[in-house]
Amino acid sequence: MTKTPRLTVNGLKKSFGSNRVLHGIDLAFEPGQFIGLMGPNGAGKSTLIKILDGLYSADEGSIKLDDEVVRNLGSRKECGFIHQDLGLIEDMTICENLRLGQAPMKLAGPILNLKREREAAAEAISRVGLDRDVDTPVSALSPGEKTLVAVARTLDRGARILFVDEATSTLPAADSRRLMDALRATVDDGATVIMVSHKLSEILDDTDRVVVLLDGEVSTDEPTVSLDRESLVERLVAHESEGAVEEDAVACEPGEELIALEAACAGRAGPVNLSLRGGEITGLTGLPGSGLHDIGFLVHGSMKPVRGKVKVDRKIKRALVPPHRETQGGIPLNSIRENLTLSSLDRWRNLGRLLALRREERDAQRMTTDLNVVPGDAAGPYGVLSGGNKQKVIFGRVLLREPQVYVLCEPTRGVDIKTRTEIYRLIRKLRSRDVAVLVISSDSEDLFAVCDRIGVVDDGTVEELVPAEQMNTQQLEALV
Amino acid sequence: MSSVTAGGKVASADAPSVLKRFATSPTLQGSLTTIAFLLLFVGYWIWLGDTFVNVDARLLDVHQNAPILVLGLAVMVTLIAGQFDLSVGGMCTLTTFLSIGLVVDKDWAFGMVLAACILAGLVGGLINGLLVVKLGVNTFIATLGTGGVFLGISNVLFGGTQLAPTEKSPQLPTWFTGDGSLGSFGEKFPSIIVWIGLAACAYGLFRWIQARRPEGRTASSWTVVSAAITVVIAAILFALNLPAWVNGVSVTIGVLALIGLILWVVLRYTTYGRYLYATGANPEAARLAGVKTDRETITAFVIGGLLAATAGVLLAANQGAASPDIGTGFLLPAFAAAFLGTVIMSTGRFHVWGTLIGGTFLVWVTQGLIVGGVPFTWTDVINGVVLVAAVAVSTIFRRRA
Repeated sequence: MTKTPRLTVNGLKKSFGSNRVLHGIDLAFEPGQFIGLMGPNGAGKSTLIKILDGLYSADEGSIKLDDEVVRNLGSRKECGFIHQDLGLIEDMTICENLRLGQAPMKLAGPILNLKREREAAAEAISRVGLDRDVDTPVSALSPGEKTLVAVARTLDRGARILFVDEATSTLPAADSRRLMDALRATVDDGATVIMVSHKLSEILDDTDRVVVLLDGEVSTDEPTVSLDRESLVERLVAHESEGAVEEDAVACEPGEELIALEAACAGRAGPVNLSLRGGEITGLTGLPGSGLHDIGFLVHGSMKPVRGKVKVDRKIKRALVPPHRETQGGIPLNSIRENLTLSSLDRWRNLGRLLALRREERDAQRMTTDLNVVPGDAAGPYGVLSGGNKQKVIFGRVLLREPQVYVLCEPTRGVDIKTRTEIYRLIRKLRSRDVAVLVISSDSEDLFAVCDRIGVVDDGTVEELVPAEQMNTQQLEALV
Repeated sequence: MSSVTAGGKVASADAPSVLKRFATSPTLQGSLTTIAFLLLFVGYWIWLGDTFVNVDARLLDVHQNAPILVLGLAVMVTLIAGQFDLSVGGMCTLTTFLSIGLVVDKDWAFGMVLAACILAGLVGGLINGLLVVKLGVNTFIATLGTGGVFLGISNVLFGGTQLAPTEKSPQLPTWFTGDGSLGSFGEKFPSIIVWIGLAACAYGLFRWIQARRPEGRTASSWTVVSAAITVVIAAILFALNLPAWVNGVSVTIGVLALIGLILWVVLRYTTYGRYLYATGANPEAARLAGVKTDRETITAFVIGGLLAATAGVLLAANQGAASPDIGTGFLLPAFAAAFLGTVIMSTGRFHVWGTLIGGTFLVWVTQGLIVGGVPFTWTDVINGVVLVAAVAVSTIFRRRA
């Protein structure tokens, strides 16, 4: 077994346009450590991992393995990355997946020695505690077993420093236990594991050291033993007050019920009972994989309930800010204008049913300016905008539709503090007697900033909704 | 010369920067393909002289290839929706046979025949759309299969051999095919309409340039520049014998332009068109934004089927006869035209005028070679090369965008 190198990161900086994401990261990872990397959305965790992997290049700073300066770790065989998308080929067997990209074991000439390959694969998966026939197709495995195969493959290729990016976020508890055990065994074997996670309990129970990123800086770097649940939560939400309270919202008497889910099930969600009334901003939070977003799709109507029902008047207009901006949000090749007006095009139809392009352009330009999108030319392409500005355009699209029911999923995912504040202000301005707003976010800060009542989604169902002022971040984190 | 002040004044003061900006503008880079073609035609002119730059011969090319250009529009509509329709060749052959055969073999009234062709396009497109959208069959396989079926139906109905009116059989209407009819090159489109169309194009060009005012230019001075550019282009066209081109436009070419105009209005000025582009570019995002992507896609296949049926009818008018292998070779140039359209005048989007101009250029390039002595058997080689080259270039455009 090769020796695990020491990984050092010095002064890593990265900006996207005017948005500074990493402000100079200094970290050193000794061999044989299990490190938990935490931080709220947009803190720079994924940017850091992507720079280390070589998907982005840093603006400044250096990465070193022992004393050797390297450009990125993605191409080094002693480093392995396990992303949420595991990169396994579902239709192929465990053995075929493990052998992929490795030197083939040959019997004679080009003929493969299948027996030896199977034995090698069996040994590799037994090291991570997976007891399966290596001829099983990956599609037949549970999500947790798939993750174990991914770990086995990474180790089999000789990785001694493992990056595990939110791999447990979508796993059921038992499966994530098996993964943590496998990772612990790897660390005991002298390897380094750096795991990104939002789950407090697994970080506290299994890691040796906790690194917290807040707004692109290392805010905490301590041995896990010196932390308990409360102190860790405090460190994660140190900037809680920032951008939060700002009293421009008028308190509003609750209006009529606009939409109600009655034991509705779809995707991972359900059975859900939820009633949304005018004048109220309701917030839901929960872990990724809890069915959180599927509840949003149900309320929006883009998912139909398989069981139960959604009670809503046909005339009620609904609009959605989708959770995954890059794939579900906008249309990259189209202009900002076309993205803004897509949901409400009818409004610019003139008498002959044709679009009045000039009027559309004018209204789109006004919205672009109002939302402070940069660069602010509505005729410009949408695809090149930064994440925060894309989010503003998607918001603009929802606003132009003028719906009675707003479903806002992950409204501040991957946006900077300034945009975050702007988005909070926008959401609070929506509050009116005949408008219901549902904010769905895995970032609890969003909920405290804008919501009247807050609920936690667990295993697809909503526990009771609690008025926001009767709760604080720590209590909510503990529930999640 | 000092830098230009906010108001922006004299043309000479910022002339170099305007030039530089023009050279690096996406507009110019987008029209590089057009310029390359024009240079190629200048080369042909030098090489072949008046045998190439012959108004009648070049318009005859367009006239004869009008069915292929309509097929180009048919595949374009489905391509905008992100789908490939390989059945248009089969549909085109089917309606060619229907137009000729239902009259010659079955003695139907011609109005009924046209209705049957439209119905065939409608039903064929609907089947494609339902297969792809509702059953989730891969778009290539679904339309490859239905294309075979459409072609096969024409064989089953009319015996799979060449079909033309004989002296004893019922005759096709004289307005439809033969001398002085819709299908003949000799029958010209009213030139007054062509002139009105060209005037509209000139005005459109003027407005298009006007909207691209460089920073630091006053609106009024740029309006003068825009008008000047438009007039210069018009003058160049007149020098290139524009009136002869206008007078030579046949009825078929006129019909082709009208189909293009209607489709352009639908794609640009209706909500349907906007939804269709959104559906093709990112179906998931479009669906979540409230676009009924399934319905848009099925409609795109129906429009494609109707256009393919129209192409078959035009072909029947053009030829006055039908033969089983007539539409099969059309698929390649139709796709080449649509993809060439994405790299002409624009950056990576399918559009009507690009497809029509691209298809026309393609025909002229091939004809130029044939006039120059290259055997006509090279046509498919050239079409194939242009298709792949156009896709490669448009991929690069998209990557940059």
